[in-house]
Amino acid sequence: MVVEAGQLALTFAFALSVLLAIVPLYGSFVANQRMLLLAKPLALGQFVFCLLAMLALIYAFRTSDFTVINVAQNSSSTLPWYYQITASFGSHEGSMLLWVLMLAGWTALVAQFSKALPLLLQGRILAILGIICVGFIAFSLFMSNPFARSLPFYPVEGRDLNPLLQDFGMILHPPTLYMGYVGFAVAFAFAIAALMSGRFDSVWARWVRPWALAAWLFLTLGIMLGSWWAYNELGWGGWWFWDPVENASFMPWLAGTALIHSLAVTEKRGTFKSWTVLLALAAFALSLVGAFLVRSGVLVSVHSFATDPGRGMYLLVFLLLVVGGSLLLYARRMNSVRSQARYQLFSREMLLWGNNIFLLTACLIVFLGTLFPLFHKELGLGSISIGEPFFNQMFYYLTIPFALMLGLGPWVRWKQQQVAPLIKPFSLLVLAALTLALGVMATMQSVQANLALIGLLLGAWVGISALAEVALRIRQFGSVSKGITKLNASHYGMTLAHIGFAVLVVGVAMTKTYTTERDVRMQEGDTANVAGYDFTLTDVYELDGANFGGQAAELDVRKDGQYVTHLHAEKRFYRIQRTIMTESAVHARLSRDLYVSLGEELPGDAWAMRIQVKPFVRWIWLGGLLMSFGALLALADKRYRRKVMPTLQTGEADA
Amino acid sequence: MRKVLFYAPLALFLVLALFLLSGLFSDPRERESASLNKALPDFALADLMQPQHIWTAEQLKGQTFLLNVWGTWCPTCNAELGYLSELRAMGVKIVGLYYELPRDPAFDAPFDLAVLQQDVTQKLAQHGDPYQFNILDLERSLALDLGVSGAPETFIVDADGIVRAHHIGDINPQVWRTKLAPLYQQWSQP
Repeated sequence: MVVEAGQLALTFAFALSVLLAIVPLYGSFVANQRMLLLAKPLALGQFVFCLLAMLALIYAFRTSDFTVINVAQNSSSTLPWYYQITASFGSHEGSMLLWVLMLAGWTALVAQFSKALPLLLQGRILAILGIICVGFIAFSLFMSNPFARSLPFYPVEGRDLNPLLQDFGMILHPPTLYMGYVGFAVAFAFAIAALMSGRFDSVWARWVRPWALAAWLFLTLGIMLGSWWAYNELGWGGWWFWDPVENASFMPWLAGTALIHSLAVTEKRGTFKSWTVLLALAAFALSLVGAFLVRSGVLVSVHSFATDPGRGMYLLVFLLLVVGGSLLLYARRMNSVRSQARYQLFSREMLLWGNNIFLLTACLIVFLGTLFPLFHKELGLGSISIGEPFFNQMFYYLTIPFALMLGLGPWVRWKQQQVAPLIKPFSLLVLAALTLALGVMATMQSVQANLALIGLLLGAWVGISALAEVALRIRQFGSVSKGITKLNASHYGMTLAHIGFAVLVVGVAMTKTYTTERDVRMQEGDTANVAGYDFTLTDVYELDGANFGGQAAELDVRKDGQYVTHLHAEKRFYRIQRTIMTESAVHARLSRDLYVSLGEELPGDAWAMRIQVKPFVRWIWLGGLLMSFGALLALADKRYRRKVMPTLQTGEADA
Repeated sequence: MRKVLFYAPLALFLVLALFLLSGLFSDPRERESASLNKALPDFALADLMQPQHIWTAEQLKGQTFLLNVWGTWCPTCNAELGYLSELRAMGVKIVGLYYELPRDPAFDAPFDLAVLQQDVTQKLAQHGDPYQFNILDLERSLALDLGVSGAPETFIVDADGIVRAHHIGDINPQVWRTKLAPLYQQWSQP
C-alpha cells in the first residue's frame, strides 16, 4: 500500500511540475499576475509530494518489502537499520529519486526565499526549475521507477546492499553531492531568466551569489566526503583516483568555483557579464553531463550504475534540449549585452579573470582527460586510457601560477592598482612564506623533495597573504575591535576559503612526497617498522557480524619504545553479496595518519599487511572543510538578506 | 566575429553530444588488441611439462591455432577447459600459454616447477585437457608483449604466425559460435 502511495505521490509531483513549467512561464509572457503567483504553491506542493515518495521508498526498505525489485536488489533483512535507510539511495533508481527530491527542495527554497525578486523574474526562475523537474521526475517515473514490483514472484531475502556502500561516509556523501549538483540548477535558472529579460546588473548578480555559493558549499563538502570515504573504504589509502565519476563531480566544482569568483566581479563592477552567465550555464550543464556519464554506461568506472542504453538515450535527449537550448539562447541574446566598466592591466578584475582562465583550463583538462578515451575510440583510433600521471602533472603546472595569483588577488584594488605601495608588504610576505616553508621542510626527514617544497611555499604564501590581508582590512576601520565586527562576513568567508585552499595544497604535496608504504608478512607477535613507528601484530581472530564474517587484526603501535596507539583492522566477507571488503585501521593526527589494512592469509599462520604512514593527509580534507565553512560564512553576509528584510517582518519567510 | 564567438559554446556542446550519442551504442569495455594483425612477438620459452624443450615463434608456424592464456589459479580458465577440450576433439589446435602469477619474495613460497606441474596435471585430469602443449611464461614476458590484461584470454594465430584475433574472457559455446568460429575458419583457409 505504502509503496503504491509513493508511486502516486511521485505521479502527483510530476503533474505539479508540468504545471509549474507551463503556467508561470506563460503568465510571464502575457503579464498575468495570477499565473505568476501560482508558481510558489506549485513549487512547494511538488516538493511535498517528492518528499512523500522518498519516505514511502524508505518505508519499503525499512520493512524489507522484497516484492519491490529495488529493495530486493539492494537490501536484506540482516542489514542494519541505518544502512537500510541509506540503501534507499544506493541504487540507480533510488538515487534518481533522491536527485529529484533535492531538485524539488531547491525549487521550494527559491520559491520561499525570493520574495524580494520582481514577480516576473520569480515566475520565470521557478518555471525553468519546473522544466528541469519535469525532465527528471519523468525519468524517475517512466525510465527507472524505484517502486516497481516483481509480483507475483518475489524473493524471500534481498541481495543486500553493496558492501562498499555500507559505510558512514556513504550516508552523507550522496545527499551532499547531489545537493551541490542540483543546486547549480538554481544559478542556471537565474541565468536563463536573465537571458530572457536581457537584464544582467549587479542586482541580478547579488541575487544569484548566495544560491551559487550554497550549491558550491554542498558540492565541496560532497566531494570531500567522497574522498574521505574512498580513503577509508577502498583499503589502499588513496584519496583521489581521477576516476571518470570523480571527474564528473570535479568539473562542475571547477566551473562553480569560477562562477562564484566571476559573480563577485559582476556584482561589484558590473562587468564580466557574458562570462558569468556562461559559467552559470556551464556549472549546471557539467552536472548534467556528469549525470549522463554515470548513468549511461558510456565510460567505465567503479561508480557507474548498471547501464541501460534507453536511459542513456533519454538523458542525452534531455541534455540536448536543456543545455543546447540554453546555449542557443545565450548565443542569440548575449551579443547585445555590453559591459561598460573599464579596468587596467594590474587590477583585481584582471586577477579574477586569470582565476577564471586557470579554473576553466583545469576544467577543460579534466574534461578532455575523462572523455578523450571516448573521442579516441569513436573516431576509430582504438582504445586508450588516460591515467593519474596525466592529471597529476597538469594540475601540478596549473596550481603554481594559480596559487601565486591567489595570494596576490585580495590585496589588489578594483580598476587599477599601483605597484609601488605593494612592494614593501609583499617583500615581507614573501620572506615570511619562505621562512615558514623552509622551517617546516627542515623538520622533515628528507629535504630533497621538490614537490613538498613547492607545496609548502605555495601554501605558506596563500595562507600568510590571506591572513595579512584580513588583518590589514580590520586595521583600516581604525581600531581592531571595531574592525573585527565591521568587516563583513563574506570577506571572512573568502579568507577562510583561501586558507582552506592553502591547507589543501600543503596536504596534497606533503602526502604525495612523504607517504611511506610497506607490504609486510606478519605472524602474531611480529613487529614491522615503518617510518619510525613499530607496528606489532598482537592478535588475529575470526569476526562474526550481522551480515558479514571475516578476520580482524589487532596491532599495537610504538614509537621509540613509547606506546602510541592500538589499531584494529578488519577484512570482512559479506555473505550475501559474496564480496571481500577491507576495513582499514586509521589512527589520525593532524601531522600524520597511521593506516593499516589486513590482506590475505599466507601459509604458516601469517598475514599480509599493508602499513602506511601518511604525513599531513588530514590536511586535504581539512582544506575542503575550511573552504566549505568559508562559503557558509559568506552566505551569512547581511547584504544578501537586506532586500528580504521587509518580507521577514511580515512574518511569512520565517518558516 | 564577436557574434560568432557567442555561438562557440553551443558548437562545442553539439560536438560533444555527437560523441556521447555514438558512445551510447558501443561497449566501453571492448578494447582493441595492440598485437592484432602483427606477427607473434619473438620469444624463447620452456615447455611446461618438458622444460628442456624451448618453444619459439618460428616453431608455431604452419597451422592456425588458438593460443589460450590460462592458469590453474584462475577459476574461469578452469571452467572453460571442458569446452576447449570439446573444440580439440573437433580438430582445433589449442596451445596453452601458462600465465604464472607474480610472486612476492617476501610472502610467497619460491617457485617450484614440480608443484606447478602436479597442479596442472591434476586440473587437466579433472576438467579435460585441450592443449597440444603448454608454454610456461614464468616472467609473463610473452603475455606482456601480446597485451594480455588477465586470464583467460585467447588469440587466434594463423599459419604464418600472424595474430588475427584477441578475445578477452572465457570461451563458451555462444562466444565460439558467434565470434571466434567465423574468424578461425576465415584464417584457417590456405
